[in-house]
Amino acid sequence: MSESVLNSNDRTFKYSATNGIQHEEPLLFEHAHEAPESIHLPGVEGDIPDALAVFSRKIPANIPGLSEPETVRHFVRLSQWNHGIETGFYPLGSCTMKYNPRVNETVARLPGLAHIHPDQPEDTVQGALELLYEVQEWLGEISGLPHVTLQPAAGAHGELAGLMMIRACLDARGEAERRTVLVPDSAHGTNPASAALCGMHTVELKSGADGRIDLDVLKANLNDGTAALMMTNPNTAGAFETDIKEICQLVHDAGGLVYGDGANLNALVGLARPGDMGIDCLHINVHKTFATPHGGGGPGAGPVAVNDTLAAFLPVPRIVKESDNYRLDSTSDASIGSILSTIGQSGVYMRANAYISAFGRQSLHKIAEDAVLNANYILHRLKDVYHVPFEGVCKHECLLTDEIQNKHGVKTLDIAKRLIDLGFHPMTVYFPLIVHGAMLIEPTETESRETLDSFCDAMLEIAAQCEAGNTDALHEAPVKPFRRRLDETQAARKPVLVWPQ
Amino acid sequence: MRFLPHTDSDRTAMLETMGLSHIDALFADIPDEFHLQRGQLDMAEALSEAGIVRKFTKASEKNRNATNTRYFLGGGTYNHFVPAVVDYVVSRGEFLTAYTPYQPEISQGTLQALFEFQTMISRLTGMDVSNASMYEAGTATAEAALMARRVSRKKRVVIAGSVNPRYRSVTTNYLSRLDGECVEVDMGCFGTDLDRVIDAIDGQTACVIVQYPDFYGSVYDLAPLREACDANRCLMVVAFSDVSAFALIESPGAMGADIAVGSGQSLGIPMAFGGPHLGLFTCKQKYLRQMPGRVCGLTKDADGKRGFVLTLSTREQHIRREKATSNICTNQGLMCTAAATYMTLMGDAGLATVARHSAVALQSLVSQLPAHVTAIDGAHYNETILSFDDHVARQRFLGAAQANDIFAGIPLEQLDSSAENRHLLVTTTEMIEEADINDYLVALEVAK
Ligand SMILES: Cc1ncc(COP(=O)(O)O)c(C=O)c1O
Repeated sequence: MSESVLNSNDRTFKYSATNGIQHEEPLLFEHAHEAPESIHLPGVEGDIPDALAVFSRKIPANIPGLSEPETVRHFVRLSQWNHGIETGFYPLGSCTMKYNPRVNETVARLPGLAHIHPDQPEDTVQGALELLYEVQEWLGEISGLPHVTLQPAAGAHGELAGLMMIRACLDARGEAERRTVLVPDSAHGTNPASAALCGMHTVELKSGADGRIDLDVLKANLNDGTAALMMTNPNTAGAFETDIKEICQLVHDAGGLVYGDGANLNALVGLARPGDMGIDCLHINVHKTFATPHGGGGPGAGPVAVNDTLAAFLPVPRIVKESDNYRLDSTSDASIGSILSTIGQSGVYMRANAYISAFGRQSLHKIAEDAVLNANYILHRLKDVYHVPFEGVCKHECLLTDEIQNKHGVKTLDIAKRLIDLGFHPMTVYFPLIVHGAMLIEPTETESRETLDSFCDAMLEIAAQCEAGNTDALHEAPVKPFRRRLDETQAARKPVLVWPQ
Repeated sequence: MRFLPHTDSDRTAMLETMGLSHIDALFADIPDEFHLQRGQLDMAEALSEAGIVRKFTKASEKNRNATNTRYFLGGGTYNHFVPAVVDYVVSRGEFLTAYTPYQPEISQGTLQALFEFQTMISRLTGMDVSNASMYEAGTATAEAALMARRVSRKKRVVIAGSVNPRYRSVTTNYLSRLDGECVEVDMGCFGTDLDRVIDAIDGQTACVIVQYPDFYGSVYDLAPLREACDANRCLMVVAFSDVSAFALIESPGAMGADIAVGSGQSLGIPMAFGGPHLGLFTCKQKYLRQMPGRVCGLTKDADGKRGFVLTLSTREQHIRREKATSNICTNQGLMCTAAATYMTLMGDAGLATVARHSAVALQSLVSQLPAHVTAIDGAHYNETILSFDDHVARQRFLGAAQANDIFAGIPLEQLDSSAENRHLLVTTTEMIEEADINDYLVALEVAK
């Protein structure tokens, strides 16, 4: 074999980005031909009754209709323009993009779980209820908050449910004047939006110099109108709120409750429990911590776990176990009522159950250990060339900014887009809002050291290019994917959301 | 642990790189009193992959399902046929394991699928624009009410009693913590009495919410309601539970809806014991900037090539925070891809067949009912109420049907706690065949 074939300095495999076979694919509506014979469907033939015929649709909807082979090719080609966690590294901070085990997909598709109706008789869905009940109990144990509702459809929906419970609890105490929710300025946008939807108003708490909740600021804002503090721990800067015990104590002493945004539970799972720290109510993003696929935007699930104080207010129906029998209990009393028209995103919980089962009691903590190890490893490798706004160890994600690269005219956005050319999905950019040019990197536990090193090398290379004044490629990026930077201003100015007829 | 790539020597080496000797150093910021003893939670032991398959198979086999039972169940969740291609497409890792398309250059697949979805949903519902999904129909209905309040700058919401009781309870629940009245109009029948609905509208009314076809399956003319809405400058919100209807009957848009919301579960998404399903949200173009949720729009890239991005994000929580049009973030993205694939495979003709078979099956059943069971009169799509002499007769029938592998309907009181316990909400789809109807009729004999 020739020297060059064996050359270990070959960069071909260092960063995986390439311009392989990529096809342009028109919109469905541009596949111009008469719709072929469509799928053969079962059912009862006959004429529709006269009474209904009066309401017949006059102009067809004009849904194009392609043959099966064309349909498959169309969507497979679209899929090939996408980057997913199965394709490569996806270090989006706050999103916990970890590997989604394939066996979870297999079991969720078993006919006895996928093809059952939420209103069929309870004695014919005992197996499904058993799996849901099991995951419900596990989430209670993992969070240290034993009472759990599976109804919320995503994290933000869980926030709403949790705040509704807090409000109901305060009302039951005769404290209906408590309607203020304190939200740190580092919080995710859903936090204040959920509070508003719950008919409460928010007061923003300015974070301290270390990116954490400032106890003096907190104290200054606690009063008779305080309903709750809504906090994320570890926070969105990746830092653990070390004063958590005191924070919860202060809020409780002031007559409020503590809502925990559990989006960052991956840092703690199996190692420490929000309930033990004084949190009253926590939503869990199952599509983050418990590895259910994010699907290009959803679905997720946002179960809420609460302590005894809030248990009576949980939404209905609740999944309960009586001896060996499972049933849905809709008796409400103090309940906040229902917030979804079904029992919840059952299919998502089936996957979460399978995921937790794979780790079990023995190994659950390894999730958090490796997630935190990986984030700190990246932080360590990058901290000399990128600005680190808050010192100290991070938890499952690390926060950098573009302060140093800014001197060379390079912004976070450029760094993100350049990563694409090198074969990586960018980190979360410009969030949290408490630092300028945020880059929030969350590697998760399912990445190998090889991948982490390769990503860090890419980041170092970008920083070096900045230092060398070699920044054209950064401003131009990305050049490798089949679309370059897209004009978002044009999209918003004259929105085209549907293809014209 | 098979999902974790590191070996112990990797971990040690990584820690050494950082000058650390033990992983605990990375958790020193958590106060000691909160550290759990590893492996001590009260949970099951770890299972192998084979063990997981065994556990789930065992549990799933306890459940009767649509592969071994005939489903006459609806009420918001429908057993329509799901072609293999749909499940294949949404199983592809590039769709399945992507996040929200925040980096459009490497998310054009998801984005184009969303654009196609929005287009097809607008066409099917006869509305100008669609968003890229809500959680499901109940929350979509609540969001519609909230949007109408913003658009009209009024607060009062009127909701017909013939809207699915679950959509109603979610909507009234959402509204109950905000200022303004929410009025539920009792219909006094298993159908929609538009006069009663119209009587409830006044000048303070932000919107009126009706369901079409309604919860009982009735199909009716919305023209009088449109007039009443115009007279009171209030928005007409049309909810629906089985979107397949609109391949057969006039769409909400053609009926004059300002906002149309409902379930898209019928479009290639399995029943899955309640979810994940698909909430649809559509409206008139002029209200676009008050719409909740994500939308995908057309644009160009730096080289002038066509491409897609998420747009109008200044409505959303990550920008607008407490002033956002909704708190929704994660939605039902993958279900949009499923619905787009399903509609592509079906086309107008396939969708029309699904709808026709669904309606004809109900007609066939209702036209052969014995004298001791009654159905409601009038135009129905694929659902209706069957009424029995009494509870005992109904239960006898349900038991006989189930013994012959038929889920014959949902006891009405299970959906609407105020209902008498002698009615059934009965639903048909294209999955019901003539033989199933015959077996159903045979079982009905025991209800005499
Ligand atoms: C910190 C934080 N809170 C809340 C949310 C909202 O969760 P979801 O998207 O599931 O509604 C997210 C996720 O985007 C998040 O990162």
